[in-house]
Amino acid sequence: MAIIDTPQWKYLNRILSRKGPFADDDYDNEMQKTFLEHTKVFGAGGLGCEILKNLALSGFKDIHVIDMDTIDVSNLNRQFLFRASDVGKPKATVAASFVMSRVKGITITPYYGAIQDKDQDYYMQFKIIICGLDSVEARRWINATLVDMVDINRPESLKPLIDGGTEGFKGQSRVILPTLSSCYECSLDMLTPQTAVPICTLATIPRQPAHCVEWASILEWPRIFKDKKLDNDDPGHVQWIYEQALKRAQEFNISGVTYSLTQGVIKNIIPAIASTNAIIAASCCNEALKIATGANPFLNNYMMYTGDESVYTHTFEHEKKDGCPVCGDLASDYMVNPEWTLQEFIDRLKEKPEVQIKKPTMVTERRKLYYQGPPQLNEQTRPNLVKKMKDLVDNGEEIAITDPGLPFSLRLNVIFS
Amino acid sequence: MDTSPPSSAPSSAPSSKEKKYDRQLRLWGANGQNRLEQAHIALFGATAAGCEVLKNLILPSIGRFTVIDDKLVEEADLGINFFLDQDSVGKPRAERTAALLGELNPDVVGGFRSDNLENMLSHTPELLDPRTTEFTHLLVMSPVPTPILLQLPTGIPTFFVNSLGFVTTLRIYSPTHTIIETHPDSLVDLRLFNPWPELSALVLEKTRNLDVPESEGGMSDHQHGHVPYVLLLLKYLEDWKQLHDGHLPGTYSEKTQFKSMVMDKMRTNVPGASEENYEEAIGAVMKNLRNAEISSETKEVLDNPKCLNITSESDDFWIIARAVKDFTDSNNGFLPLSGATPDMKAESHGYVALQNIYRVKAHSDAAAVEEIVRDYMNRLQHPHRDQIDSDVIQLFCRHANFLRCLNYRSIADEYSNSNDEHNKAVLAALENWDAEDSLIHNYVALRGYQEFYTSHGRAPGDTSSEDCDADYDEIKRFVCQYLESVGYTKGVGVRCEKMLKEVVRAGGGELHVTASLAGGIVAQEVIKIITQQYVPVNNTVVFDGIGSRTQTFEL
Ligand SMILES: [Zn+2]
Repeated sequence: MAIIDTPQWKYLNRILSRKGPFADDDYDNEMQKTFLEHTKVFGAGGLGCEILKNLALSGFKDIHVIDMDTIDVSNLNRQFLFRASDVGKPKATVAASFVMSRVKGITITPYYGAIQDKDQDYYMQFKIIICGLDSVEARRWINATLVDMVDINRPESLKPLIDGGTEGFKGQSRVILPTLSSCYECSLDMLTPQTAVPICTLATIPRQPAHCVEWASILEWPRIFKDKKLDNDDPGHVQWIYEQALKRAQEFNISGVTYSLTQGVIKNIIPAIASTNAIIAASCCNEALKIATGANPFLNNYMMYTGDESVYTHTFEHEKKDGCPVCGDLASDYMVNPEWTLQEFIDRLKEKPEVQIKKPTMVTERRKLYYQGPPQLNEQTRPNLVKKMKDLVDNGEEIAITDPGLPFSLRLNVIFS
Repeated sequence: MDTSPPSSAPSSAPSSKEKKYDRQLRLWGANGQNRLEQAHIALFGATAAGCEVLKNLILPSIGRFTVIDDKLVEEADLGINFFLDQDSVGKPRAERTAALLGELNPDVVGGFRSDNLENMLSHTPELLDPRTTEFTHLLVMSPVPTPILLQLPTGIPTFFVNSLGFVTTLRIYSPTHTIIETHPDSLVDLRLFNPWPELSALVLEKTRNLDVPESEGGMSDHQHGHVPYVLLLLKYLEDWKQLHDGHLPGTYSEKTQFKSMVMDKMRTNVPGASEENYEEAIGAVMKNLRNAEISSETKEVLDNPKCLNITSESDDFWIIARAVKDFTDSNNGFLPLSGATPDMKAESHGYVALQNIYRVKAHSDAAAVEEIVRDYMNRLQHPHRDQIDSDVIQLFCRHANFLRCLNYRSIADEYSNSNDEHNKAVLAALENWDAEDSLIHNYVALRGYQEFYTSHGRAPGDTSSEDCDADYDEIKRFVCQYLESVGYTKGVGVRCEKMLKEVVRAGGGELHVTASLAGGIVAQEVIKIITQQYVPVNNTVVFDGIGSRTQTFEL
């Protein structure tokens, strides 16, 4: 008898025991229930509280969670497993012990650290990976790792990745079958491009309150405090930035600099509420339940939820991108003006939302184009920055790019325009 | 300058409350938060979905909540409801869920009653009478027998929720719901075809010598590349009018011509071979060159009988709406200006000067509206005549083109089986081009569930597997009756049959993930109704956890 046959699991058991009209023909209820119990799952991210609760109440018994954050007072408006007395403690451990004490018969194994601390052997133990991460970098990393783990001779090496994210009243959830369906990297161009304000605007001609805040944090802080790092969580530091920004705004007759805006700009705060997190986390776990049991078909492969004007969902199949640097096989073509300098080429690449690099190191098969470090190599390759592309690479030549923000090496075929 | 960062807690820093609720205050502000904290939510039915809704409302700090439920906690509840624990088994469900939900936020006052909706309506009706009740919003969890649904009070916003297996629906009822702060993507209204004198004067001043080369005494490249694009467009529109007998570029081909006219004036002998402000101007042509028009939603508000026939009992919203209507009628059909300007390439002072022209105009429009409001209020002897706040009038004017007024059909009308509008809406959805995959079938199946429960006092499928077939036949019979009553004659279709099987499969039971998802959707809608911000559903949203999608209907 499976544990799920106990009175506590009456309703879940009933649904899984009866084959539904939308389920596959070969649905085997007894097998699926056992399978559910032995499905080791992994969850992480800002949606972690909801995800752990949902998995625990969906019959999953062996759950692992990773979170590198400690609890902040601003989490309490939505991360419901935390209380004011928990502020400062690691999220993963507090959440795990709360859910284990509430729901009997399950095990949650927390790890306080970054998902990148763990290697492929660690992720190989799970059946399903669910991520509600806020950071683009972490999501790219787990995506690339899971794609890399796929070994066509071992079907069990393919781990479905369920990814969810929210912003205000909006969110999205998606199911990624690494190498088979569109991956996180395939859809990077759906992110709103982060157009940085030019430094000269900040330095000489600010127009918006945010320009004044950025001036204070990017230019004025390092000028005054030299090597002292700005700590966004230090109220004294934030206050200083706010005061400088306010002064500057008054100088230019710009209105709208407030403490809250200052914080929002320097910490890049995204509004977040309990209800949206609940929708997206539940959607992710609903897909996990369907994948684990086959009780109903699972999402193929993307759902966007918009709640600010009525309720609207767009559910569609996001297509695999030809030449995706992670799940595609080939280097992708990239149009380059042969007259650009290497520096111009790098600047343009940085603006591309589908690339998202910050400090690239670039090589071709025959030449080191530019190295960020070590110092000798940086010195040696720096003169290339002012050379024209046509003098550095041939039409059709491949450039390999590595970057601290890239969890893989990006390959581009240079096509001269 | 002091060169050490201050270390003591600063005075302008946020209060501890602002810190805790920072991530939501960025969405609905102090105003929305105040409204939230005034709310007292009653939950009828401490189901998993009901508790999940309350969780998502307690966390952002509603004022109070009361759980009303008459059941004792069963072992099976622990498998779906996170707000019950092992110690709760055998105890009143209202009491235990209220206690565990209450732990979520010390700022919220919680309470419970071991009671049910039917009993309250018949024995303590004053608790649900809009004139005497403490409750500001009602959450009603299915199942509730149909005769009880017909008795729900119509003076209180009510949210009727179904969460069954993989399927959930939410039906919202509210008395007339008006919204000022709908939070559109942008409030910008540039009036490029309708500049007012001060704006035209600024254009003249800032674009003098625009087309004169620097060598002949014109603007330097720096100045030329920093003329705000709004001024560029207004200047070249004037030029266009000179060339076209005073006509503006209205058609697509005229706008295309106008675009190339602007492009020709761009200086190209500059770094990058183009000017960003000109690029911005060209990019704005198709979207922003048009007459200022009133949105259909705002027209609906201004033409609403409540706006046309204001009395001393009218809400402030309608008095201000009437004033805006009068203002617009005497202002060549233009609404009060929002005053919002987009960001654009410019020098600081040039941008601020432009921004101020729009702001000052918005301010003076709002002041004119305020004068009309005060005049009406005095004439009507309106009780708020000394309290009405200039800020509210300004907010209203800023959002004048984005107002909403939602009229909800009552839940009784929906379930009476005799409302033509309801029948028409269901019929239209069943006969729509997308009917085959429509979630209207989920709704119809749940109507069958509703009637089955009302007749038998239990859920279909809440039984051993052998009897499921009999329950299926019975619920299908109810659905046939319902379809006939709305005038649909083609019988139960394939998708509807599948949904009925899915409903019987659940046997009246909840799945936690569906309940949790319902909890999120419902709480978002409750928050929108309470804060009077953003636009709630009118009136039904269906979530299908099988296909992972939603659909909305006005039923
Ligand atoms: Zn990919």
